[in-house]
Amino acid sequence: MNKQFFVLLTLLTLISQNLISQNFKFGKVSKEEIEEKYHPLDSSTNAAILYKSENVTFNYTQSEGFSQVKEVSVRIKIYNKEGLNWATEKVYLYKSKSGNDEKIKGIKGYTYNLVKGKINKSKLKSDGIFTEQSSEIFDLTSFTLPNANEGSVIEYQYMVKSPFLQIDDINLQYTIPLNKIDVSVATPQFYKYNRRFNSKAFFTPNISESKKNRKASITQRGESSVSLLNTGGGQVGSGSSIVNREFEYNDNVISISELNIPSLKAESFGGNLNNYRAKLSLELEARLAREGYVEKSFASTWEGVSKTIYESEKFGGQLRKSSFYKEELESHLNGVEDVFQKVFLTEALVKSRVKWNGNYGKYSENGIRTAYQDGAGNVADINLLLVSMLKSQGINASPVLISTRNNGVPLFPTRKGFNYVICLVEHDGKILLMDATEPYSINNVLPERVINWQGRVITEDGQSRWIDVSPDIKSKKTTMLNVQIQDDFVVKGKVRESYTSNLALDYRKRYTNLSSEDHIKLIENNKGNIEVSELNFENAKDLIKPVKVTYNYLLEDGVDEIADKLYFSPLLFMTKRENPFKLEDRIYPIDFRTTTQNSTIVNILLPEGYSVESLPESSAMDFGEGNVKFSYIMKENGKYLSLKVNFEINNPIIAAEDYKNFKAFYSKVLEKNAEQIVLVKAQP
Amino acid sequence: MCFFASFYSFTQDASTYLSLTVSDSLRENANAIVRYETIDVEVLSIEEIKVKTKRVTTVLNKYGDRHINAGQYYDDNTKIEEISAFVYDEFGNNIKKYKQRDFKDVSAVNEISIYTDDRIKYLEYTPLKYPYTLEYYSEVIFRNTAFFPKWQPIDGYYLSVEHSEFKIKNTSGIELKTKELNFEDYSIEKLDEYHYIASNIGGIKHESYAPLLSDIVPSLKVALVNFNMLGVPGVNNNWSDFGKWIYDGLISGTTDIPEETINEVKLLTDGVEDDIERAKLVYEYMQNKTRYISIQIGIGGWKPMMARDVDELGYSDCKGLTNYTKSLLEAVGVKSYYTLVYGGRTIKDIDKDFSVTQGNHAILCVPTPEENIFLECTSQSSPFGLIAGFTDDRDVLLVKPEGGEIVHTKIYDADDSMQKTEANVLLSEDGGFSAIVTIETTGYQYKLHEGLQNEALRDQELHYKEYWDNINDLTIDDIKLINDKEEIVYTEKVSLTSSNYASKSGSRLIFEPNMFTRSTNIPTRYKNRRLDFKIDRSFKDTDELVITIPEEYGIEAMTASKSIESKFGNYNFKVEKIDGNKIKYTRTYVLLKGDYNKEDYKEFRSFRKQIARLDKNKIVLIKQ
Repeated sequence: MNKQFFVLLTLLTLISQNLISQNFKFGKVSKEEIEEKYHPLDSSTNAAILYKSENVTFNYTQSEGFSQVKEVSVRIKIYNKEGLNWATEKVYLYKSKSGNDEKIKGIKGYTYNLVKGKINKSKLKSDGIFTEQSSEIFDLTSFTLPNANEGSVIEYQYMVKSPFLQIDDINLQYTIPLNKIDVSVATPQFYKYNRRFNSKAFFTPNISESKKNRKASITQRGESSVSLLNTGGGQVGSGSSIVNREFEYNDNVISISELNIPSLKAESFGGNLNNYRAKLSLELEARLAREGYVEKSFASTWEGVSKTIYESEKFGGQLRKSSFYKEELESHLNGVEDVFQKVFLTEALVKSRVKWNGNYGKYSENGIRTAYQDGAGNVADINLLLVSMLKSQGINASPVLISTRNNGVPLFPTRKGFNYVICLVEHDGKILLMDATEPYSINNVLPERVINWQGRVITEDGQSRWIDVSPDIKSKKTTMLNVQIQDDFVVKGKVRESYTSNLALDYRKRYTNLSSEDHIKLIENNKGNIEVSELNFENAKDLIKPVKVTYNYLLEDGVDEIADKLYFSPLLFMTKRENPFKLEDRIYPIDFRTTTQNSTIVNILLPEGYSVESLPESSAMDFGEGNVKFSYIMKENGKYLSLKVNFEINNPIIAAEDYKNFKAFYSKVLEKNAEQIVLVKAQP
Repeated sequence: MCFFASFYSFTQDASTYLSLTVSDSLRENANAIVRYETIDVEVLSIEEIKVKTKRVTTVLNKYGDRHINAGQYYDDNTKIEEISAFVYDEFGNNIKKYKQRDFKDVSAVNEISIYTDDRIKYLEYTPLKYPYTLEYYSEVIFRNTAFFPKWQPIDGYYLSVEHSEFKIKNTSGIELKTKELNFEDYSIEKLDEYHYIASNIGGIKHESYAPLLSDIVPSLKVALVNFNMLGVPGVNNNWSDFGKWIYDGLISGTTDIPEETINEVKLLTDGVEDDIERAKLVYEYMQNKTRYISIQIGIGGWKPMMARDVDELGYSDCKGLTNYTKSLLEAVGVKSYYTLVYGGRTIKDIDKDFSVTQGNHAILCVPTPEENIFLECTSQSSPFGLIAGFTDDRDVLLVKPEGGEIVHTKIYDADDSMQKTEANVLLSEDGGFSAIVTIETTGYQYKLHEGLQNEALRDQELHYKEYWDNINDLTIDDIKLINDKEEIVYTEKVSLTSSNYASKSGSRLIFEPNMFTRSTNIPTRYKNRRLDFKIDRSFKDTDELVITIPEEYGIEAMTASKSIESKFGNYNFKVEKIDGNKIKYTRTYVLLKGDYNKEDYKEFRSFRKQIARLDKNKIVLIKQ
């Protein structure tokens, strides 16, 4: 009996201890948390978020309607000095056109340290809070906690009141570990929000849903027509006709509670790290009537989303404007009959008249008329202008909504799912996709930012459908390398390269504006002891033709002479030696963007007095049933050696689970490319 | 066009706006050309300077956009009275006008600073076509006369100057002092005492290892002998005056710290006799108590935060932390001086011959009979006295109570910045190897390596895979990092394996014995080197490897040793066969800092080319 009691007691103590160390109430920081030296699950992290809660609610006032209140509370552990930047928080507060801006309130913060074994609390005071007007779009409030040191636990909380119905994305993952997070979003029944999670993130949180009764009061005139009349007549003493009325409604509440979310880590060829962050996005989909039917829809299906976007004055509204460019366009196209020729000339006109100001957007920023007159605009200004011009010529042109690489791939219909627009022309069974923001882009060779997921074509009547925007043509790089080993073992030769499609676009973007001297410097870069001369760069501006580059080279360290033998790798400076895939494992896929073919032909003239002792063997390898192919064919032909190397990427995405195999495959490719030819001095 | 006639009357004609008329010599090596620039400075009183700037720039390509300089920083004590811009096409037709309200107005806060009261008004212009010409005009009143505009017509690489004019009107009666730099080699005309014109100066191409641009192009520095920094008046005849002003006006009165803290550091250093040891303890105390945060406020961004506040809040910027550390040291009877410096990897001096507001950073100097020890107070982890890489080898200003003094900070010689690599390697028959490598670094090289301890294990592994990018299929098996802050030596012990290092060719194994420290970069080649060059820091690398080759193999060919001597340093390696199947490889590479003539650049490249080649020297093994 006694013993049992003892066991029970221990159990109880265990449970209660557990409860103590798990107390995430603001201000209830424990000694154990301050004493902790390393994160139990990630010993190398500099800091960790021990707890975060984020609550979003909407409150009603008669004057402002529903306004949003976001309450954030965070507890962070700082393990070492590198983690100290987590003791500073920046909050961006957006401004609204009406002057009713977001406001931050109730900033509270404490730093907890152990001083002589006791918890010491330092309070964040007003001298640690800074507010400044950053730009026309937002203000910035930053605060930094006092006395934060190695080992400190810090806590802060604040509230943002916002006039906007849109809810900011709620991050569920950070670049440091997150031990526990509680999220609750309560939205009034009159608004329907779409929610989505990042499909590329490594986890999808569990959510629970519930309803909550809410009350709000409004002051109304009395309901009877008599009292209305009374009030209207301004009768003295008719105060009783002003009614303070309460009305009831429901909040739809979604909650997330998650434990132990590991930190977000970058990987090479992975793209934007944010693409992989676990987060909750909410988009206002519709305003509902009290009875529940849709009073005004903001989004729903992709069809609906497209239609809503199309109906905006800043999108479809732009396409109907044409008078301002009419004259110039007609004279520009004067005498041209062929439709493709017209399209080509119109795109060239837009590119020369309006330059991209660097801003993305599916909606026109300045309006196509202003953009045309000012010579600058955002993506929508430029590409909607192009669509409008083509349509004015009776050409079947349509805008295509795009989600760029940075915007990711949306999980389900939402207007935020699109952030960019390009132009489509369909004629004579041919499809031309165009982006006039990019000077070196031509039909169906789109800039990298656009090649992501699929596009949504919107036709005249607001109807829409999907279209594939990934290039159907493989980009090719072809290299001819002539090799001549001179008596002093310096290698002399000529290189001829040609680039097509997206590889040509990349090359033009990088080199067109450079002087020949700088271009040579970049070619010489990382190629060892090389001297490049007589560089010729053809078709830099003739976008229809492939880029052609030729140059001569002298390479001093290409051949090793050791004891009457010559050792060299036939690809010389044309191959990478270093495997870019260095991680042992990956969580996210490799993305090569486009399908490519890289072929190199090497012709080697044997030096006088030497003969072949050994040659690398020809071989071919294949990854994932032809997704990536490699071949290496070596031939000896009298005084000449010839090598043909081909590397093809037929599917640009390599899944994370195939990573290890791919890494090994790629390493074999590099190994093969580095193999050496051995020549031996002929016996006299 | 008559629009501007009202501003000025000057000898500028319509062709200024024509891109077409720029001479070929100015187009060469230029992304933009300053066609016509006038800077008129008027000293209104000890409290006010008015500057009128007009700058007409023809921009030839997108890299030239940044040279339009159409923007103005300001704060509560800078008043922008007028700011406007006009854009012309290449034929000189006015295509756009911008008034004050068309300029963007944003906070000048950057990533690292959390608060600044500086703002900037700037023009955001997307050019339609190149070339274009932009005319910028501004009238600004500065109420901080400790700063005086400097004239440096060539304010960037790839920028030509057709006409730039600088004029000071001084009716205030306050004496001005000036310093001309590099006027000799450029066409600069001095019309009268404070009136200069620079004309037809061609663009300068950037070349690697070039000295600081501001050290090679002409400039005029100006300062008022009597000035006023927001209510703190001062005299500035020389560094002694100016330093005294900083001490009296900005430092004294900020140095008080609470009694409690004084007692704490006294207790901490109790019984420690040696001043340096006491300073060390106090420095570590400060490091543990505070952190660095950039807050640009206080008199012109120049007055440190009160030491008392730093003590309470536990954070500050470089000025506040330096001043706080100074107070702590004072409390334990150790003398130290607040010190102004240009901080950065690039070495930049405070101009010892011309006293004026200079520097962008503050450090603390602890004088000892042997040397001046400098403390970086913004770092929570830096060892005591280590300044390599950020404030080393440069002239700085000590702010002493009796006046300012220029001194030079510590120079790290080759022997002070060492990297010692030792390894035991086991080469296997299939071309792979396993090894245990130890790297020890000091001085500047310590700084380059020391950051590794803060990385996650995954990123430490990635670091080594990149550090040894000559080795493929590398697996890092174990990492041990030891940071000896007392001796300032950083030690890394790494176990690694590679399945693919030596290349196989029939019965031969070919490999490079220099496995862990390779100098493969060859300085950029220039047909005609135009600028002299500079190596900022010396270093010394040594390597000692013992490589065990596979049992049945013998050495077929190898180079026993090579050495190179040059004015830039020296290099040598040696390969020896030691007992049985072991090879010992040793390598030493010393690079010496210095200022060198452009004629020597070829020789420098040749030195580096030889090293790059010798670092890849191979050994051929053959199966017995």
